[in-house]
Amino acid sequence: MERLFTEEIRALQLGAGETFQGEGILAVTKALLQSGVSYVGGYQGAPVSHLLDVMVQARDYLDELGVHVEACTNEASAAAMLGASINYAMRGAVTWKSIVGTNVASDALSNLASAGVKGGALIVLGEDYGEGASVIQERSHAFAVKSSMCLLDPRPSLPVIVRMVEEAFELSEACNSPAMMELRIRACHMQGSFIANDNRAPAISARLPMAEAASFLYDRLAHPPATFRQEKLKSDVRMPAARKHILERGLNEVQAGGRDDIGLIVQGGLHASLIRALQQIGLADDFGNTTVPMLILNVVYPLVPEQLVEFCVGRSAVLVIEEGQPEFIEQEIALMLGRAGARTTLHGKDMLPLAGEYTSEVILRGLHQFLARHAVDLDMSAATQWVASVDRLRERANELLGTAMPPRPPTFCVGCPERPVFAAIKLVEREVGTPHIAGDIGCHALATFEPFSVGNSILGYGMGLASAAAVGPAMARRTLSIMGDGGFWHNGFLSGVSSALLNQDDSILVIMKNGYTSATGTQDVLSSPGEAARTSAQAASSVHADTRIEQTIRGAGIQWLRTVHTYRVSQMVDTLREAFTTAQGGLKVIIAEGECQLERQRRIRPLFSRLLRDGHRVVRTRFGVDGDVCSGDHSCIRLSGCPSLGLADSGDPLKVDPIVQVNQACVGCGLCGEVAHAAVLCPSFYRAEVVQNPDWFDRLRWAIESRLIGWLAPA
Amino acid sequence: MSPLPERPLTVLIAALGGEGGGVLADWLVAAATRLHFPVQSTSIPGVAQRTGATTYYLEIYPVNRSELGDKQPVLALTPSPGNVDLMVASELIEAGRAMQNGFVSPERTTLVASTHRIYTTLEKMQMGDGRIDGERIMRAADALARKALLFDMAALAQQSGTVISAVLFGAMAGSGVLPLARAVCEEVIRASGKGVEASLRGFELGWRHATGEAQQPSPEAIKRWAAHPHERVRATLPGEVQRIAEEGAARTLDFQNARYAALYLDRVEAVAKLDREQGGGAGGYRLTLETARFLALWMCYEDVIRVADLKTRRSRVERVRAEVQAKANEPVHIVEYLKPGVEEIAAILPARLGHALESWAKQRGLRLQKGMYIRTTGIVGFLLMRFLATLRPLRRSSLRYGIEQQTIERWLEAIHAAAPLGLGLALEIALLGRLIKGYGDTYARGRGNFLRIMDTLVAPTLPMSESERREAIRNAREAALADPEGRKLEGSLSSVGVTPLPPRAKPLQFMRKPTIARPGAPAAGAGSAPRS
Repeated sequence: MERLFTEEIRALQLGAGETFQGEGILAVTKALLQSGVSYVGGYQGAPVSHLLDVMVQARDYLDELGVHVEACTNEASAAAMLGASINYAMRGAVTWKSIVGTNVASDALSNLASAGVKGGALIVLGEDYGEGASVIQERSHAFAVKSSMCLLDPRPSLPVIVRMVEEAFELSEACNSPAMMELRIRACHMQGSFIANDNRAPAISARLPMAEAASFLYDRLAHPPATFRQEKLKSDVRMPAARKHILERGLNEVQAGGRDDIGLIVQGGLHASLIRALQQIGLADDFGNTTVPMLILNVVYPLVPEQLVEFCVGRSAVLVIEEGQPEFIEQEIALMLGRAGARTTLHGKDMLPLAGEYTSEVILRGLHQFLARHAVDLDMSAATQWVASVDRLRERANELLGTAMPPRPPTFCVGCPERPVFAAIKLVEREVGTPHIAGDIGCHALATFEPFSVGNSILGYGMGLASAAAVGPAMARRTLSIMGDGGFWHNGFLSGVSSALLNQDDSILVIMKNGYTSATGTQDVLSSPGEAARTSAQAASSVHADTRIEQTIRGAGIQWLRTVHTYRVSQMVDTLREAFTTAQGGLKVIIAEGECQLERQRRIRPLFSRLLRDGHRVVRTRFGVDGDVCSGDHSCIRLSGCPSLGLADSGDPLKVDPIVQVNQACVGCGLCGEVAHAAVLCPSFYRAEVVQNPDWFDRLRWAIESRLIGWLAPA
Repeated sequence: MSPLPERPLTVLIAALGGEGGGVLADWLVAAATRLHFPVQSTSIPGVAQRTGATTYYLEIYPVNRSELGDKQPVLALTPSPGNVDLMVASELIEAGRAMQNGFVSPERTTLVASTHRIYTTLEKMQMGDGRIDGERIMRAADALARKALLFDMAALAQQSGTVISAVLFGAMAGSGVLPLARAVCEEVIRASGKGVEASLRGFELGWRHATGEAQQPSPEAIKRWAAHPHERVRATLPGEVQRIAEEGAARTLDFQNARYAALYLDRVEAVAKLDREQGGGAGGYRLTLETARFLALWMCYEDVIRVADLKTRRSRVERVRAEVQAKANEPVHIVEYLKPGVEEIAAILPARLGHALESWAKQRGLRLQKGMYIRTTGIVGFLLMRFLATLRPLRRSSLRYGIEQQTIERWLEAIHAAAPLGLGLALEIALLGRLIKGYGDTYARGRGNFLRIMDTLVAPTLPMSESERREAIRNAREAALADPEGRKLEGSLSSVGVTPLPPRAKPLQFMRKPTIARPGAPAAGAGSAPRS
C-alpha cells in the first residue's frame, strides 16, 4: 500500500472524551467502531480509499475488537457482504467510490434492500462529484430512491458526520432498510476534530461467534413470492418507519432565522457553501446564524412530508439547493406541496444550474436571483457588486495573461512501467496503422492525455475488452483493448476475456500487470506478488513471481498468450506487431509485466540508503541529454511524456528552441534509452552510472580509464 | 475579550501532485491548532498525486476557542473568487491558473508563488517552442494581487536540501498574512519529525525572501557566446549580425575546417550584401541575422561523425558529472544509446557508394538497425567513437553532405530571389530553416515539410501578392511545427489553394479470415476453421 497509517490507527483507538484530530473519512471510520460494527468491507477508490486502507492496516486492533475486515474484489462483492445483516443482528458497513461503485453493486443492493435488514447496514459512498472527480458525473441519489434505501448527506463538520454515522445504524435498524451516506470529495478530505466516544465491541463477531444459523424464513429471501410482499413493506412499513425516526431523532435541522416570508432547503453537504454565500450578502454571521430560515436535510431520502410542508406553508417562496441532476428533492417537495394545497412558490433548478458542483459562488448567483425576486426589501447591492467584480476580475486576468493556462492533468509517475507500453503502441501504429483502441479504468487511462492521446472509448472498470466486441467485426484492423490487473480481477476476466473467448472474438488485449490497484493507492489484488517475492526481488520488478492471471486465462482456453517486460520496448513492438498481423484468429493476450514504480520505490529507497550507510557499493543510474546534440524537436517527449523530461533554454545562441533536460526526478528507469533505440530517435541520450562507495577495482579502473581518455580526448 | 474578526482567513494552495502540498496543509492546521484557532483544511487529491495540478484550501478563524464558548464558526470547503486572503502557487503557471479562476484580487489577495517552471506536457511536446511566457504571468501577478511575492522557491528548496513545501511555508509565514507566529510554525516543523533540519533551512530561506531580507539575483543572460572576435566578420558584416556570424563561423570550423567556415561566411556575406541593398539596415539586418543562424545550424548537421565527436570531448565528462550530481570520489560511467541504421551509414559513405547501399537495402527491405550500447568512459568505447570522429575529412565527399549542400543552395537561392520582392518575404523563407532538425524519422519529416513548402509556396507557382505569400509561408511554417505528422501543414497549404497530398496510407497487414466459425454454427470450410 502506498501509505502507512500508523498515527491514524492510534487515533482510531481513542476513548470517550478524547479529541480526535484528522481527516473526514477517518472520522467516519472511527464512528463505525463507535457504532459497534461487526464487519467492514469495500472496494478502494478516491475519496474513500483511506477508510478501507486504515482498516486493513489496523487488523490487529480490529481482531481484538472482533471486527471483521474484508478488502473485496469489487463493489458487488462488498454489497453482497451486507447480506450478513439480513438474518443476523450484526451491524456492518461497506464503502466505495460512487457513482461507479454503486453501479457495480446495484444488483446486490436491490436484493438487499428488498429483503431488508435486521442489523444496521451502512454504505459509505465517496460521492465523486465536482472538482477533482474522476468518474462520470451522476448522482447516487437515484439508487436510494429506486431501492427505498435511506440516504444521508451530513453537514460537513466532523461532529455532525460522526453523529450521523451512528444515527444511520439506528435508522437502518428502525426501518429495516440499508442506509447510504454520501460524502463529497472535500468532506472526505477535510481536516477537523471531534470529541471521541469509546469503541464498542460487536455482540456478534469472530470473538463471540453464533452457535446456530438463522432458522429458515422465506420472507428474508429476495425471491418470489416474497419479493411482492417486500415491495409493499417498503412503502407501507419501512419508509414510514424511517420518516418517523428521522423526525423523532431530529436528524434534519431547522434554523428559525427571522423572516417568515421566505426559506431555504439545503442538502446537508452543501450547508457550509450556502452559509458562505449568505455571508457574502450579509445575511449570515461566521457561526452560521442567518436571518433567512433554513431546513438542513442531513437525510435526503426519504423526505418527511410533514416536516417539509410545515416548513414551507405560510412562506411565499422557498429555494431548494440541491446539487446535480435531476432535481429529485425539488420534484418531490413540489409534489408534497401540491398535495397539501400549499401556495408557496418553489424554486430550485430554475435559478441554480442543473449540472456541476455547487460552490459558494454558484449558490450565491442563484440566491441573488431568488432574493431579488422574493425579498425586495433586502439591499442586494453587495451581492450585485460582488458578482460583477468577480466577472471583472476574471476578465482582467485573461487580458493580462493573454492566453489560457495549459491544463495539467495527472500523468504516469516517473519510472512507471506502463508508459513504455504506450510508447510501443505509438511506434507499432506507424507500421500497422492506427487501430481502434478500447481504454479502461486504471493508471493506464492516463494514456488518454498528452502526449499519447490513446483510447477511443472508456466504458467502465474492466470493460475495455467487452466494449470493443462489436467494433472488431466491423473494423478492417484488429482492435486493441487495454486492461489493468486491477480491472482484470474486478470484472474484466468475466465481462471481457470469457465473453471474447466464448464468441471467438479476433482481437488483442494488453493486460498491464503491475501487481496492484495502483491508481487507488497500490492496494493488493489476487495476483500481487507475495511478501517473499518482493523481498527477494529487491530493487527489481517482482510481479513475475505470481502467474495467476496467466494461469486463469490459460485455463479459460486462450491460444495466443505472450508475456513481455514493459521496459523491453523493441520486444513489445515486435509482439504487438505479431498480434496485429498474425493469421491466427481468436483473442490474443499480451501480459505487459512491470511492477508499479511506487511500490518498487518504497523498497528501493530504504534498501539503498541502508546499503549506502553500511558502505556497500551501490550504482545509481540516471539518464541525461547532451545539450549540444539535442536539436530541440522534442520527439522523445512525444513518445514518453515522462515528468523527468523537462525543457531548458539551450544556452546556444544559435538555437531558438529549448532543448530537453533530464531533471533530478529521474530514477533511471531506462525508458529514454529504450525509446531512443526502438524509435531510432536521436543519439543525445546517455545513461550515467554513478558508482557510490566504489571498491578498489572501481577506483583503479576509473584512474586508468580517465587518465587515458583525458589524454586522448580533445577539449 | 478581543473583538471577533470580520471573517475567517482563507488560504488556497495550488500545487502539483507529489510536491508535499498535503504536508504543507497539515503544518498550517497544526500551527493553528497549537494556538487553539478553529481551522479546517480540505483537498481534492484524486489521482492528482500523479503529478497533476491540485489544490488545498484552508480556513482559519484566528480567535482562541476559549473566547468563542459554544459558538462554532462555519468554515467553508470551497474557495470563492475574490475572497482568498493568501493565494499560494508552487509553480508559475499554477499562479496564472489561480488568477484566471478569479482567486487573486487586488483588494484582498497576497500572492505567494514560485517563479520556476515545470512545463506541462502540452508545452513540452511541441516541435518548436511551446512554452508559456513566464514574464507575462509575473507582470500579471504584480498587477492583479494586493501584494505579490514571487521568487524561485524550487531553487531555494534545492539549496536547502528539502522540498518546495518547506520554502512555501516560510514564504507564507513571512508574507505577514497568516496569524501564525514564526516560532509556532517552526515548532510545528520540529514536531513533524522527518527531515526537520532541511525543512527548517528551507523555511528560513522562504521567510527571508518573502520579508525582503534576502533577494535572488536576477536571472542573467545564460547564452554561451563562445566565439572570439573574428577579423573577417568584423570587417565585412554589419554590427548587428557579427555575434551570430562569429558563432556560426566558429561552429562550422569546429564541424569541418577553415575552408568550410569560409564557405559559411561567403554565404552570409552574400545575403548581407543583398540585405543592405534592400535597405535592411533599418530593420537591424534581421534577414541576415536569421539566415546566418539557421545556416550555421544546418551546415553543422548532426551525422554520426559529429555526434561521435561531441560525445568524446573532455569537457563533456565534467558536464555529465555535474548534471548527475556525482561526488568527487565517485566514478561515473557514461553509456551511449546508438542505433546506426542503413541511412546513417550510407550518409557518411561517398555519395555513389551510399546511394548503392541505400537502394540495395531498400530492394531487400532491410533496415539493418542494431541497437548499440557504447560506454564512452571505457577505452574500447571511447576509441570506437573517436575513430568515427576522425572520419571528418571524408565528410565532404559523403552522400549526406552533397544532399545538404544542394538543399542549402536551393534555400539560399530562394532567399536571394525573394529579397528584391520584399525583405519580409525573404525573412519568412530564411525562417524555414527552423524546420530542419532532429534525427531519423523526425529529421525526415521536418525536411519533407521544408521541401513541401519550398515546392508549393516559395516557388512562385500560385498567383499571390508578396504579402499574401509571406503570410502563407509563415502559417505553413507554424503549422508544420505544430504537428509533426504534417496534417496541419496540409490544411494550411490547402487554405491558400494548394492541392493537399493524400494522407500517407498505413499498410493493412492483417489478413482477416472470411468467416469465423461460431459456437453452435455448422462447421465452415477447412480454410476458415479457426486454427488452434
